[in-house]
Parts: sequence; structure tokens; C-alpha cells
Amino acid sequence: MNTNADEQELKDRLSLIETMIAEGRRTTESWGWTFVLWGLAYYVAIAWSAWGRSTLAWPVTMIAAGILTGIFGSRIKSGRPETTVGRSMLAIWLGMGISTFIIMLSLGFSGRMDLHIAIAIIGAMLGAANATSSIILKWKMQFACALVWWATGAVSCFISDSQAGILFLIAIFFCQIVFGFYGMIAESRKRKAGRNGQEVSHA
Amino acid sequence: MPELPELNPVVHGKLRLALLSLLSGVEEAEFTWLRSRTGSTDGNLGAQLQKLEEAGYVIVEKKFVQRKPQTLYRMTEAGREALTEYVQALKQMLGAAIGV
Repeated sequence: MNTNADEQELKDRLSLIETMIAEGRRTTESWGWTFVLWGLAYYVAIAWSAWGRSTLAWPVTMIAAGILTGIFGSRIKSGRPETTVGRSMLAIWLGMGISTFIIMLSLGFSGRMDLHIAIAIIGAMLGAANATSSIILKWKMQFACALVWWATGAVSCFISDSQAGILFLIAIFFCQIVFGFYGMIAESRKRKAGRNGQEVSHA
Repeated sequence: MPELPELNPVVHGKLRLALLSLLSGVEEAEFTWLRSRTGSTDGNLGAQLQKLEEAGYVIVEKKFVQRKPQTLYRMTEAGREALTEYVQALKQMLGAAIGV
């Protein structure tokens, strides 16, 4: 083997290492659907509580969305490896979800629930979770969502009930539905690009 | 002129190198996932994983999940060190090849 061939082989080995490490990391990035699911759940809860006037609307819808996330999540995860990044994401969103649920439930049962407070808490919680995730994943678009949620939470404290409600609906649309679909498209493109990668079938 | 390092023959095999690189980015991985990522056959993949296991670079765990058998592979600290040393040796050799 001549020197050029040796050098090329060494470069190929380095390239293979990079490709395979990237391949392992790529498997963690399939969360776009959860944003869409939870965005739709928020809309269902809002519609149910507005027109149905039921105090059960939010807790029931949130629990149902949590169960659906668990079922779909375990099916999607089936066979995929566990990564530190994946577990970090689960910890962030589970922690945020449980905290918000407990606070909202307590406010509801104590009779101290107020639309401005509710939107401020949800905005702050979703802002924090999105910001943390975006920093870990190095995803600028998600950080933009965090800014929108923080702004929604802060602005809702200064405006009327109806204005705060509209602001909340708009934030859900852009930061859950639109961002979720954008995430799904981005993940699909990455998967396609991954399939075009090299195969390693000999020792 | 400094002596060039030897490449670890266990890590140097193309499929074994791919497997160690894949496992370095995850905590543990199923046999089927490793097969799909490498495009390898069951027999070849099993043989190469066994070599890595014998070298102490991966550990295997077999269990049943919902009555289905599952074979999980995890990279050991020795495996991580071997891969790191291999990459360093590779870079050193490449540096020498291009005259850096």
C-alpha cells in the first residue's frame, strides 16, 4: 500500500468515527410531535373550560395528554438507545410539567385561579423549559420560542383578560403547533440524510 | 523523528470501530439498533461484538422486555479509553503522513 492510500485510509477511519458518533446522537432528536400534541391539548382545555365551564377541563386534558405522550413516546423510543441528552430532556420537561400541574391544581382548588396568573405561570415555566432545552440542543429556533413564552407571561400581567387570552392562543399557535411541525420536518430531513450515510458491513 | 504509535488492532477493524463510535455517543444500545445503524448482518455483527466483549471494551446485558428478548450493549471505561487512544494515534499518524 502506498503512502497516499495509507493516508486516505486513515482519513476514512476518522470520518467513520465522526459519522457514527453523529448517528448515535441523531436518534435523540424526535420531539417535534410532542409540541404539536401539547399545543392541541392546550386548545382542547381552553375550549372545554370556556364553553363547557368545567373545572375538570384542564386537569383531565393535561393528564390525558401526559398519558398519550407516554404511550407514543415509549413506542417511538422502542429499540432506540438511551442517551444522556435524552434523559436530560425528559428530566427538564417532566419537572416543568409536574411543577405546573401542581401549582395550577392548587390555584384551582383554592379558588385563587386568575387568568393573568395562570398565563404568567405557564409562560414562565414553558419559557424556562424551552430555554434550557435549546441551550442543551443548541437549537436557536427553540430559544426564540422561550423568548415568546417569557414575553407572553410578562405582558399578560399588564393587559385585560380578553387580550391575555388572545395572546396565550397566539403563543400556543407559534411556539407549540408551528414550532412542533417545523421540528418534525427538520427531524425527518435529518433522518433522510442519515439513511444516505455509509454502511459498514465488514470487520 | 518521533516513533509513530501502533494502531490497536481490536479497534482498527472497520465494523468494530463503527460499533465503538456508535456506543460512545449513547448509554446503551440494542443489538437491532446497532445492526440498523451499521447495515451489518446478524452473524458478522455478533462476531465483532463478541471480540469487543472479549477485549473488555463492551459489556452485554440480556433481558426480557414485555416477554421479548433484548440484548443491550454498553461501552466500558476501557473501551472509551481504547477509542480515545486510537483517535489520538490516528491523528498523530495523519500528521506525520502530511508532514505536520
